[in-house]
Amino acid sequence: MSDPVLEVLTRSVVVSVTATIVALAIGLPLGTWLALTRRPGRRLAVTVVNTGMAVPTVVVGLLVALLLWRSGPLGGLDLIYTLRGMVIAQVLIATPLITGITVGALGLLPPGLPDQLRALGANRRQLVLRLWVEARLPLLAAVMAGFGHAISEVGAATVVGGNIHGQTQVMTTAIVEDVSRGDFRSAMAYAAVLLALAFVVNATLTSVQQRGTAWARS
Amino acid sequence: MGTVLSLRGVRHRRGGRVVLDVAELSVPGGERLAVLGPNGAGKTTLLRLLAAVESPSEGLIRYDGAAPSSQNLVALRRRIALVTQQPGLLSGTAARNVELPLAWRGVPRSERRARALAALERVAVAHLAQRRAHTLSGGEAQRVNLARALVTEPELLLLDEPSASLDPEARADLLTDVDRATADRVTTVVHVSHRVEEALRLADRVAVLVDGHVRQVGPATDVLRHPADARVARLMGYDNVLGGMVGGDGELTVAGLETGMRPGLPSGPCTVAFWATGLDLTEPADGWPHVVVERVTAGPGRWEVALGGPVRLVAHLPMDAVPPAPGDRVSLRLDPRLVAVAR
Repeated sequence: MSDPVLEVLTRSVVVSVTATIVALAIGLPLGTWLALTRRPGRRLAVTVVNTGMAVPTVVVGLLVALLLWRSGPLGGLDLIYTLRGMVIAQVLIATPLITGITVGALGLLPPGLPDQLRALGANRRQLVLRLWVEARLPLLAAVMAGFGHAISEVGAATVVGGNIHGQTQVMTTAIVEDVSRGDFRSAMAYAAVLLALAFVVNATLTSVQQRGTAWARS
Repeated sequence: MGTVLSLRGVRHRRGGRVVLDVAELSVPGGERLAVLGPNGAGKTTLLRLLAAVESPSEGLIRYDGAAPSSQNLVALRRRIALVTQQPGLLSGTAARNVELPLAWRGVPRSERRARALAALERVAVAHLAQRRAHTLSGGEAQRVNLARALVTEPELLLLDEPSASLDPEARADLLTDVDRATADRVTTVVHVSHRVEEALRLADRVAVLVDGHVRQVGPATDVLRHPADARVARLMGYDNVLGGMVGGDGELTVAGLETGMRPGLPSGPCTVAFWATGLDLTEPADGWPHVVVERVTAGPGRWEVALGGPVRLVAHLPMDAVPPAPGDRVSLRLDPRLVAVAR
């Protein structure tokens, strides 16, 4: 693999892994809270999250760019056309996915499980950790979906990152640029690397996930 | 020592409807209280409130005189164990399931395994320790569930029809295990059931719950012999429950038959309850007359005879008796020792 490709690949992975970790740190507790709460407005909140899952990434990119633009409300932070700005955009893309899948995953657990765990003496932290263990298979799917969405999106990366060579160019924006220049050979090379990366990450997570399924064990 | 429970003015609403209304109920430490009631009577709600996983809409439940608060809730729950109808085992091995409540209570790892194995041993499933929970049969899983409840040596053990989903043999075995495990009376046990034979199996006292209200509470044999009303009598397993009348002379009349019994009640209408075994079939015109046999079926070790006449009745006859055929006319004699009379 040539140095520029490796550099772009590394940048892609760093941005998307960072964004996935941050999105997980927000989405997992938020999704858990939404799954467990009985407060009014829960349904509306879940609908908002689910809508967030369907927002086009370029629209997210546009909103983030408007915020981070030099004359925008967060312009002073100087994050437009930076990797950190791209991370922010990808966090906004992955968080609704992880939150939504977490709500769904915990919703699939037996309805009486939280009370049963409380009755067994679990405090709040022990209860939540145990629910995550019980729902670990669909929660891994949430991680896969979050990372997959972040690394494969091109709209937000272009708008917020600007596809600056050696600075903010990532795999997807590099492909778009190569195609627009008619350099299909280079675009295919990036695409192959991106596909291989997606495969390796998902194969690893799937192997962890399937090891946990009942039918695979027995 | 087992937790002393006291409920005062406990009222619980669900969807705006009152599902439980217990004015007063006390359970001394170490007692086994059976709560008997039909489906939908509020039994599970009562156990959820006692397990402190839900708070009553009104009223107070005290544990050893102390009321739960948000500060002591987890500590309180850790003195209690709840065994639900469905085993609800978590992923992992049986032993891991039993260890979990200990881990949550901060018991060191080295001690956990030994205590979990001892608890599994107590309910005769130590050999299942390394089996994955999802590979266990219903009966095995429920035993592991019971071990998981007993492992913490709870002061209060709440059993919500733990044998409901088991076959009759496994049901009897499970109750024997609970009986043995709590025989020392250091644990207060509240056992909820809609089957009278199971409720009585583990009961110093019985509380009969109907439509969210405690209709009667007392020593098991008292409630059995002297049910408070027709509903309680049916729940206590009386096959024949009918209206009777106490005359001015104090004698009980049932459907026109003068029984010769004097139940010691003031004159007026009453409820008469008797078991199917309390009826003897005799020659026509020798007892309670003009009763027509409608149906004869064989029950376990006995004939069950449905009778039509002034009132519909069920009689059990020993297997060696010649059962009457449908259409036969017979007379009945009532064994006064097996008759309960309530207001």
